[in-house]
Amino acid sequence: MIRRSRLSDAFWSLVALLVAMLFFFPLYWAISNSLRRPVETFTVTGLGMPFVDFTPTLDNWRLQLGTPEAYNALANSSIISVSAVAIALLLGVPAAYALARFRFFTVPNRDLTIWFLSQRVLPPVATAVPFFILFSSFDMLDTRLALTLVSATFVLPFVVVICRQTFYDLPVELEEAALVDGAGHVKAFFWVALPLAAPAIAAAALIMFAFAWNEYLFAVILTIKSAATLPVHIAGGVDTRGVQFWFVAVRSLIAMVPPVLLALVAQRYIVHGLTLGAVKG
Amino acid sequence: MIRWTGRVKFLFLLPAVLWVLSFTVFPLGYSLYLSLHEVERKVVITGREKVPVLKADGTPVLKADGTPRTRTKVIRELQTTFTWNSFANYLRAFRDEEVKEAVRVTVIFTVVAVGTEILLGLGLAWLFNRRLYARGFLRSVMILPIFATPVAVGYLFFTIFYELGGPLSWTGIPWLSDPDWALVSIIIVDLWQWTPFCFLVFLAALQGIPEEMIETAMLDTNSQWEIWRYVILPILRPVIVIVLLLRFAEAVKLFDIIATLTKGGPGIATQSYSYLAFNRGFKMNDFGYASALAFLLLIAVMIIVTLFFRRLRTSYE
Amino acid sequence: MRSLRTWLGGVAVGALLAGSATAGQYVEWRDDGSVLLKLGPDYDNAVIETSREELGALFGPDQKPFEGVNITILTLDSGPKGGISGPIMAFRPVWEELSGGKLDVALVPITDLYAKMMLDLRQGTGLYDAVVVAAFFYGDLVSGNYILPIDDYMASGDFPKWSYDSMPESLRTLYTWKGVGYGTLNDADGQVLYYRRDVLNDPKWQAEFKREVGYDMPVPPKTWQQLLDIARFFDGKNFDANDPDPDSGIVLHLKVGEQGLYHFQSLSAPFAITPGEKLDRYRRVYWFDPTDMTPLINSPGHVAALEFLQELAKTGPSAQISWSLGEAWDYFLRGKSVFVFSWGDVGSLCQDPSRSKIKGNCAASVLPGSDRYWDHEKQQWVETDDPKPVGNTTGGSWHGVISAFSENPEAAYSFLALMAIKPVSIWNANNGWTGVDPGFSYQFLEPVGEAKLEDYVKAGWDPNDVRDYLKAYYDNFTADTMLPYLRIEGTPEYWDIMDKNLSAAMSGEKTAKEALDDTAKVWEEITERLGRDRILEQYQEAIGFEG
Repeated sequence: MIRRSRLSDAFWSLVALLVAMLFFFPLYWAISNSLRRPVETFTVTGLGMPFVDFTPTLDNWRLQLGTPEAYNALANSSIISVSAVAIALLLGVPAAYALARFRFFTVPNRDLTIWFLSQRVLPPVATAVPFFILFSSFDMLDTRLALTLVSATFVLPFVVVICRQTFYDLPVELEEAALVDGAGHVKAFFWVALPLAAPAIAAAALIMFAFAWNEYLFAVILTIKSAATLPVHIAGGVDTRGVQFWFVAVRSLIAMVPPVLLALVAQRYIVHGLTLGAVKG
Repeated sequence: MIRWTGRVKFLFLLPAVLWVLSFTVFPLGYSLYLSLHEVERKVVITGREKVPVLKADGTPVLKADGTPRTRTKVIRELQTTFTWNSFANYLRAFRDEEVKEAVRVTVIFTVVAVGTEILLGLGLAWLFNRRLYARGFLRSVMILPIFATPVAVGYLFFTIFYELGGPLSWTGIPWLSDPDWALVSIIIVDLWQWTPFCFLVFLAALQGIPEEMIETAMLDTNSQWEIWRYVILPILRPVIVIVLLLRFAEAVKLFDIIATLTKGGPGIATQSYSYLAFNRGFKMNDFGYASALAFLLLIAVMIIVTLFFRRLRTSYE
Repeated sequence: MRSLRTWLGGVAVGALLAGSATAGQYVEWRDDGSVLLKLGPDYDNAVIETSREELGALFGPDQKPFEGVNITILTLDSGPKGGISGPIMAFRPVWEELSGGKLDVALVPITDLYAKMMLDLRQGTGLYDAVVVAAFFYGDLVSGNYILPIDDYMASGDFPKWSYDSMPESLRTLYTWKGVGYGTLNDADGQVLYYRRDVLNDPKWQAEFKREVGYDMPVPPKTWQQLLDIARFFDGKNFDANDPDPDSGIVLHLKVGEQGLYHFQSLSAPFAITPGEKLDRYRRVYWFDPTDMTPLINSPGHVAALEFLQELAKTGPSAQISWSLGEAWDYFLRGKSVFVFSWGDVGSLCQDPSRSKIKGNCAASVLPGSDRYWDHEKQQWVETDDPKPVGNTTGGSWHGVISAFSENPEAAYSFLALMAIKPVSIWNANNGWTGVDPGFSYQFLEPVGEAKLEDYVKAGWDPNDVRDYLKAYYDNFTADTMLPYLRIEGTPEYWDIMDKNLSAAMSGEKTAKEALDDTAKVWEEITERLGRDRILEQYQEAIGFEG
């Protein structure tokens, strides 16, 4: 949009390619690690290309995919993250709308927003023990429900803060026109504001999904075995003999597949742009 | 625009507020209580008795001779005493050498990592806002790090920072065995994982700016820098603030990467505040002190955020 | 109809087996009184032979004493064929068939085991009937009364039979508290020295060593000072054909929060412990003055040992500052260093071709002594011509204990006891992947023990390696002087600050003296905070100090 020469396009594409390769490298390295025999973890030098620098083997994958724990963790993580994000959206998007459009008097809007944000700041060490006590007294330890509730609580502030900005930046005139036409605030929200904000909400949902998906501390405290999630499963690759890098590599790659698939599906929305901070005159 | 005042606002806001309150009031209240008390716990065994063994359906299990099988039931109770110790835990934090060092580590990390992420994110957004070949594909690749599980990321980067023949060993840098470099390594890992987040949000914001605005601006100047400085950055400003806040809130809690990459070492050179608090709580069973540390962090962060918001509010509301 | 047919079928099977034996899927009761425990295809169809007598009165054909009982064991997670958790998984179906009960195994990453266990015990939730613990948890477990003594169970004869008598005194201490038994026999941890048999015995290197250093290379070294000479000699030389690069003298695992602390404990023992007939205020103590809890950790003996460790570390790769045991072992297993001193796992990993290039050349011995030690009474160094090794039980010696909150302590004990009987114990030690390291007479070779070389060789061990290995452990656990094991309340906290300071010393941030002085200072604060009298009493109990 600034200068339109093919040569400069090609040059900057090359730069972008290099940057993308840089960011992809650690993942490539994980793939490379997962294909090596344990003894080769640290001996393969240079770029660790399969077939060039070492003979790849699928043994690690075979051993890991063969365990029921891996599938169980995958299912748990999926169900918990999706439900947590759904709850957070259900509660958080309307709240964000309220903070963006309505004036609150007793507690000013700004303080309400900060209060929501503060829920993300507290180190989990302060809340993990009380949560354990809470859920054990309801006999809910090691259930997906317990983790879902906790995850929803911790991603909710994210929804509120991001979506508040989105709604705030939407032109208010459209909603006011709807109000003039006799629609209530609820209708104006559902039929006018929500569709406009949808791409941004989708993108926020994706990032929150990643948060919920990757949460480790509460997962390890609140589960015993049947509700254990993938991060707990990954951390289990460390035993009295140290880190089993080859298994950890496989497990972390398995853990990345669902969110990445989801990201690709949501790509459409992201392409159309998170309208975060879209124009206001 | 914040302009409406109808009562319907509570319908929108209250469910979320109530949810957060109901799930955080107890935990926060409990840890606040803990932080102000000294806790003693002991199990007291008051007796043992023989009780019949029951099957899953509730009927007694019989031995071969027809008499019910018994087991020993241990009757015990957990005795817990809470002793008020006023602000001892809070005062202790101010004398604790490790807390000082952890604050230093956390401040350096937060400032450098978040600052760099914002700058890199802006730079990359600028780059990807051009016409590029395979832009969609490259962008998809760029956002993958967001989805990597932090617990695993630490282990993964251990193999990358491996100093004897790892992929970065040609630099000769003692990535993890030198106290200062170890902190740099931690920051690099965070940059890898979170720059894409900043990039993604900024890119979306950039693409939301209508071309006409830029074209109008180009009538006045040819300098790209000036267009950024006087047109684009002011528009991006609220977005930058949001990203800054969210990243700040995460960065001060830095935990996972440290737990799996350096364990806070060498010595305590990379021990973050949150990691220290976690270890005090869970490794040393000192939840009172850990809670006090957590509340001190919360207070500090709230002060910073409020000041920060106040300054910015005047400019963009 | 259906029940009749079942009944008829039962009769038919009964008739077939009449006079021979009762065979289940995992347990076969034979008429001669022997019993076969079958682990199934996941564990190479291993069959372990025991006897009706050994299994105790509760278990028998169709007795199912714990029908309907469901127990949960918390253990660290290394997967179904990994250390410590592996054997539990392997014997789960056996126990379920024997008892009629159901066993749940709760797995947690090793880094979070302590936190998760203490959370359950401190809150009294009672999620777990038994926990596989490290011996240094005992201070917290016993002072809170969180675990149940097992002596009555053992004496009753109802449960599978094993005995504390098979343990050397040094290990028995770790499984008991004030003479009362809490732990069931499982793992034995201690550090020994591993060295390259081929390299140290090579006449060419021996001749060169003599020329360069001036005396005959002692194999294995008897003192740390000799070991340092040898490590220095080999450091930077390419002593084998595994790769073209120069190799190192030693490799250490020094990462903070992992294992660096343990290296120092084992190494410093012969420098810092004053030997003596029995434990008193000055002799055989290491951590604190047993009369008033004054830290000994910054005594000249400890400081000199740390300075020595700093010197020794220079003969290894500098990256070891950030290494935990996996990476350090890997370095040795790939043939990159002459020495490593570490746990029993190294011995068994040496035999694993997917991890090791040195099977058959992996020799072991008890850790060396020191040619001088600090006398805490006279406050001076003592030179000795006859340096004695100081044994250690450094590590976790992971084993099961029964939670005081268990609803079914007997069922839980019956499982742990099954894992502790002699044939199972031998099988565990034979198979390196179990992570169960040898320490009990069941596992040592005849005549000092009851195990047979063939069994080890059959399980894949090189005979020379395993002979050395078992001897090293026997010598270590039965050494005249032992490094006392710290198991007081707050041990994790005492160790945490020591660990951080050691790491700071090893990475050059502090001098040895500064690091240990700082440690001692914080130790005093911890003791004050926890209550000096109470901690002192525990300390005296834990090390057996009698005033």
